[in-house]
Parts: sequence; C-alpha cells; structure tokens
Amino acid sequence: MDVSVFVQLLLPGLTTGCVYALVALGFVLCANVSGVVNFAQGEYVMLGGVVAAWLVPHGVPLPLAIVIAVAVGGGLGALQERLTLAPVRSSPDFIQITITLGVAVVLRGVALIAFGKDPLSMPGFSGDGVFHLAGAAVPVQSLWVWGATALMLAAMFGFLMRTNPGRAVRACAINLQAARLMGVDAERLTLLVFAVAGATAALAGAVIAPIVLATWDAGIAYGLKGFVGAILGSFRSPLVAVLGGLGIGILESFAAGYVSSGYKDAIVYGVLLAYLLARGGVFVFGRASLPSR
Amino acid sequence: MKARLALASFVALVMLYPLVVRGSYPLGVGIITGALAAGTVGFVLLLGYAHQLALGQAGFCMVGGYASAILCVQYKWDPLLALLAGAAAAMAVAWAIATPILKLRGFVLAMASLALHLILVVVAFEAPFTGGALGTYGVPKFAAVGLPLTADLAYYYAVWTLVLAFVGIGLAIDRSRIGRALKAIAASETAALSVGIDILRHKAQMFVLSAGMASVCGSLAVHYLRAMDPNVFGFAFSLNFITAVIVGGLQSIWGGVVGAALITGMRELLRGLSLPLWEGVIMGALTVVVLIAFRYGFAGFLSRLYDRFANRRGATRVALVEPDARALAPIAQPAALEVQGACRSFGALRAVNDVSFTLAAGAVGAVIGPNGAGKTTLFNLVCGYQPLDAGVVLLDGRSIERLLPNQIAALGVGRTFQNLQLFDNMSVLENVMCGTHRHLLNPRAATEQARAALAFVGLAGAQTLAPGALAFGHQRLVEIARALAFAPRLLLMDEPASGLNDSETERLGELVLRIAALGVTVLLVEHDMRLVMGLADHVVVMHHGEKIAGGAPDAIRRERAVIDAYLGVEEHAAS
Repeated sequence: MDVSVFVQLLLPGLTTGCVYALVALGFVLCANVSGVVNFAQGEYVMLGGVVAAWLVPHGVPLPLAIVIAVAVGGGLGALQERLTLAPVRSSPDFIQITITLGVAVVLRGVALIAFGKDPLSMPGFSGDGVFHLAGAAVPVQSLWVWGATALMLAAMFGFLMRTNPGRAVRACAINLQAARLMGVDAERLTLLVFAVAGATAALAGAVIAPIVLATWDAGIAYGLKGFVGAILGSFRSPLVAVLGGLGIGILESFAAGYVSSGYKDAIVYGVLLAYLLARGGVFVFGRASLPSR
Repeated sequence: MKARLALASFVALVMLYPLVVRGSYPLGVGIITGALAAGTVGFVLLLGYAHQLALGQAGFCMVGGYASAILCVQYKWDPLLALLAGAAAAMAVAWAIATPILKLRGFVLAMASLALHLILVVVAFEAPFTGGALGTYGVPKFAAVGLPLTADLAYYYAVWTLVLAFVGIGLAIDRSRIGRALKAIAASETAALSVGIDILRHKAQMFVLSAGMASVCGSLAVHYLRAMDPNVFGFAFSLNFITAVIVGGLQSIWGGVVGAALITGMRELLRGLSLPLWEGVIMGALTVVVLIAFRYGFAGFLSRLYDRFANRRGATRVALVEPDARALAPIAQPAALEVQGACRSFGALRAVNDVSFTLAAGAVGAVIGPNGAGKTTLFNLVCGYQPLDAGVVLLDGRSIERLLPNQIAALGVGRTFQNLQLFDNMSVLENVMCGTHRHLLNPRAATEQARAALAFVGLAGAQTLAPGALAFGHQRLVEIARALAFAPRLLLMDEPASGLNDSETERLGELVLRIAALGVTVLLVEHDMRLVMGLADHVVVMHHGEKIAGGAPDAIRRERAVIDAYLGVEEHAAS
C-alpha cells in the first residue's frame, strides 16, 4: 500500500471527522441533559459556515466574522431551547424530537433565503497554501481545523470533568431523574448545553468552510454523520462519540479514495445501517430490549 | 355519525374539485395531492399511532417510483403490477430493518431511514439501471390490468379512489385490536406489556405498512410526471410527509389527507406569490408551532368543532352496580409459581437476594415487608420486567425467567401496578378490552369479555367514561378488570391497597376472595398486614432484599424475625 496515498486520504478524513466529532459531542450533551435528540445539531455547523463565509467578503475582519458566527450558533441554540423545547418539556418524546426537526427545517430555510442557493467560499485563515506531510499535500487550513477542534475538546472535557455544571451534566447522563432530584437545575443546564452545542457546531462550520465551501443544505449530512458518532457511544459517552465522529470522517475519506467517490456517502451510510442492524439484532435481546419506562 | 360526515365531505370535495376548478394544471395539482395523500395516510399510522419518526420516508417513494418507471419502460410491465411490485419491495426492505432498529433507543429509526434514503439516492445516481442523473423517461400513463387511464381526469379519480381505500385501511386499523394496542403503547408501554402486547411487532407493522403506502405514492406520482430521476423524491419530500401529517392532525387517519391537501395548497400559493424559497421556513415553522400549540392539527380542530356543536350531553355519572361474581367464568387450570434463588442487584444494592418460595395452583400468596424490602423488584423479576442476576422462575414447572413481560402475560400471568398504569387515551371499556388483546381476536367477543370483567369488579356503569374521570379506588378496579379480562391463571397485584381508604380496602379484600374463588392463583405484594393476613394461604416476608420468613399467616405472626422487622429490634438497655 502506498503510504503517501494513505496519508493523503487519512488527513482530510481527520479534518472532516473533526466536524463530525464536535457534532456528535453536541448530540450527546443535549441528549443527556434534556432527553432529546436534537436533530437541528448539524444545521448549526451549516450556519457557522455560511455566516462566516458571507461576512468575510463583505469586509468584516476574519476574527470578528468567526466570533459572530459562533455567537449566532450559540444564540440560536439557546433560543431554540427556550422557544421550542422549554414549553413542551412534559410532552411525549416523539413530539419534542419532531419539534427539533422542524427547527432544523426553519434554520435551513432561513439560510437559503438569507444567503442564497450558491455555495459560499471563504479564504483560508492563513492563506490557501498547502503543506507536505509524508508525501501528502494538505491544506494549511486543516491545521486550523485540528487546532480549533483540539481546543474545543479540551475545553469541553475540562468543563465536564472539572466544573460543577460539567459534573451535573455527567450526572444527568447516568440518571437524569436522580440528578434532578439531587438538585441539579435541569432548566438552566439545558439552556447552557444547547447554547454551547450550538456555538461549538458553528465554530466547526466556520473553520471547515475554507476547505469544503459553505452551502445552505449541508446540515443534514453533518447531522447524520455526527449522529453516527453519538450512536456509537449510545448517546452516553462523550469520548466514544468524539472518536466515532473522527472515525466516520476517516472512513468516508477512505471510501472515496479507495472505492469510489460517487459511492462515498452510500458506503458511510451503509456502514451505519449495517452497524445499527447488527447492534439491534445481535446485542440487544431479552429483557435488555425493554423500554426504560 | 362524525365518521360518516367526514367520509361524505371527503367524497364530495374530491368529486367536485375537478368540476369547479377547471384546467389541466389544477387537475395535475389534484393528482399530485392524491399521490401525496396515499403516502401521508401511512405516515399518520407511523408517526401519529406508532410514535416513530422516519426522516427518510421519501426513500420508499423512490423505491415505488423507480419500480414503476423501470418495470414499465424497460420491461413493459402493466403499471398496476409494477406499482404492487414496488410496494412489495418497499415493505420487504422496511420489514428487514424495522425489528433490529426499533430495539435501539434514541429515535434511531429516524436516522436509519434517512441513511437508507440517502443510500438509495446515491444508487439512483450511480447505478447502471436507473438512468443516472438524467433518470428514466417515457413512463407510460397509468393502466390497471390492461385498462388504460389515459385521460387525466380518469387518473385523478383512480388516484383518489386508492386514497379512499388507504383511508379505509387506516380507519380499520384504528378500530381494530392493533389500533387499540398502538394507543395502549402510546399511553404506557409498561402496561401494554402487562396485557401481552408485543410493542416491537406493532411498531414494525406500522413502519412496514407506511413504507408500502409511500411506495404507492411514488408510483402514482411517477405515472403523472412521466419520468423519474434521483431528485424527484429528495429530503424535502420526506419533510413534506412530516409537515403534512402534523399540520393535518396526528391523531386521525383523515389528518394525512387533510395535511396533504394543505401542504400542496400552500406550495401552490407560494408559487403563485413567487416565493418558492420560503417553502422550507414556512413548513418548518408550521411543524414547530402546530406541535407546540395545536397538538391535534387541523383534523383534530374539525373534530372538536363537530363535538362542540353535536354533543350536548349532560355530565356523566358512574352508576354504581353491585359486583357480579358470576360475570366471569371459572379458570380451568390455575398456574403454580415457583421462585428459586432469585437475585437482583442495582450497583452495590442487593434488592433481591436469594429469594425462594412456592405458590401452589389456586392458592392466594402474599409477599410482605416494609418499604424498600425488595417486594416490587421481586415482582418485576417474576413478571419479566427486569432480568435476574441469578435464579429460576417456574410457571407450572416451565422456566420463564428469560421470557419478556408480554410473553409471560401470554402464558396467562396478569398483573396490576402500584402506581396506576391506565391508558388515559381510551375509555374504561377499551382499557379493559386491551386485556383481551392476546386471546380474543373477534371484536364482539372482546367487548363481551371486557364488559363481564367490569361487571365482576362492580364497574358495569363506567364503560364509556375516561379512566381519569373515576375516583382513585375505581381506577384501581379498572386495572384489576383489565388483568382479569384475559382470564389469567395467575394474577399478581402490586400493593393494591395503597391509596385506598378503609372501606375501599375491605371491598378490595372481598374482590380478591372472589378472584380466588374463580380458581385464579393470586400473589399479592402488600405492606398492609391486616389485609394480607385475612386473605393469604401462604405469606413470604422480605426484609432488606432477603426472605426472612415464609409459611401460613398464623405461624408468620409469631416469628421473632418478622416482629423485629416490622416493629424494630427491641433495645435491651444495658444500664
């Protein structure tokens, strides 16, 4: 096997995988504190991308554009929680989850109207050059993606492990009801987590935009692939979710390079489907398959 | 009456539309609406009845669309046969993925169906037989077994006749035992299991059926569009399904039809106003707003409107009828229960630790102990709600510790719950009818059996009421009647006296004796000593997860360990 080809596929896979990892982490955090799988998660990546990519050519300095994109993601995440989830907290799960889907559709629609159908391009943060590593040419922007992701993950895990609200989130992951009974203020925590998840996703969207172009309809793919990561960790383990997200990115890149770029998505989704079928069919049986309430 | 009015308005609107709004474009809109409605009727069954979201429903439309296009164009099939073949293929795929995926928690079916859809889109673009991005052209007009429907008007009526047939199927399901089972699952999965309802199976059924109907939707649309390409049924089309059934009304089959019409109407309106880009925002916003503020959608609104004008009934009152001990037939073969070495821990807590006891067929047994003794956990181990860490549960000598609760219920084990688990979306009679789910397939027999069970507990007058309208003690009786409706050979009652006053407890005791007189083996879990001592032949006493005594009530009463557990160990002051 040619090492340079391998690296040439691995590194871009790692780059998109970073985005999926951050989305997966958002899924897990939101699901843990609110019990809701937020189908709008991928749309915040899309929004971060289009907002930043629209602002920069309109004369907004790059750092400010990124800050605005992140603020938009975080603000909308908080708004989503306040306006569409807080009022229906006691409704059946399928209602709450369908509402998050409706929010996703609104966000897509708003992006389409505000930024148009055409993909937006954005210059790399430190130019559009490439660097060489083990015979592979990699966009310099990848360093920004990796750096931002590493920073976000470090901040997130620091938050989860070292701070009181972070411990509360982990307690919710183990037993939501018990955590609430022990005095965890689930209302404030949910708001916080939705805002953080929205902001993280938007940052991911902004840093990846110079590499992949930002389009209004990219949110579904980000959401679905991040969902795969979250599923791998059963919506409980943030670490497995992150690793799963990275893995999906690499798998996708290898599928495109070694098999066929046309079938790339079909392979990733096929693996997802096969995994789900195997997991449901083989590992969940007997009384473990019962509803938890 | 309401059903007939709905049907009549439907037929009238469908008949009149082409006569009032003339021209080929509006007729085409009518055809597309009909095709969409064929799919949304199925989607109501999935989202509204089975409470499962699928984000890739348009994938099944693709299956139908390509089956019709390819089979009719390349293989010259009869369009009706191609439509049926597409539906069969879609249902087979849905069936294959449904059961494993529905076992996973976290609304995985939603994303799995989206993944399936996106795979199909890629295949449609890349595969040699689909015509790639250009698609398959020259799809013939629809024909049924050689009988062509070349005029658009004829096709319009054909499509809507099919929609009517689908509505018929949906309404039949709504009224059948499967419909009742789905409502039961929606209200309380735990209680649904207790009467033997197989949750996975019924959810999977709805997914398969909705996939078939979505496929038909795809076929019907393709015969109107005369071409099929990978973009016809994209993600936006799946969203159409979701928005349509939510806006139309999730709780009624008609909601699917109403929603399809509203969505198509809205899209045409936006097109007329040259605002097609706004479609997504408006659809998404409608979904959110309707779900938050108008849960029942437009069909629900119409239904309520009708109720307001048509029903002016006075307040209903429960006519208390004396219980009829002869309403239910005696049980031929009561079951014997044996528990050997049952263990169950939660982390470091040993909730049930090596508990064994035997209950003879036809006997009344009781498990007593202070709060936190592990009684309810033991109970859940017997009924199948929790796995045993170790030990054996035998029903008539047959090992049942690996069976699921619904399988145990199917063997004739009924149960009631300490915290009432009634189906609040159904009448008292329907609640009790759910008890007959497994063994009475005939609706008339099910109704009769449910009435008999209600008469047996003394609630013959409460059949049409909502369970929530009853007093707490009466709700308890409904739950007991539901368990009795399937003629259980063993009935387990979890703290039946909790929340009852003295006279209610006394009547409950009489009811337990009447149940035992039918021949049913009864196991009570209680901490009310007085109730238990008068009723039970055999008493098991639990404390801190362990069995500390077992035997006849009189012997138990004298056991030192029991007295200590209940009254506290006497402090022998040393001073």
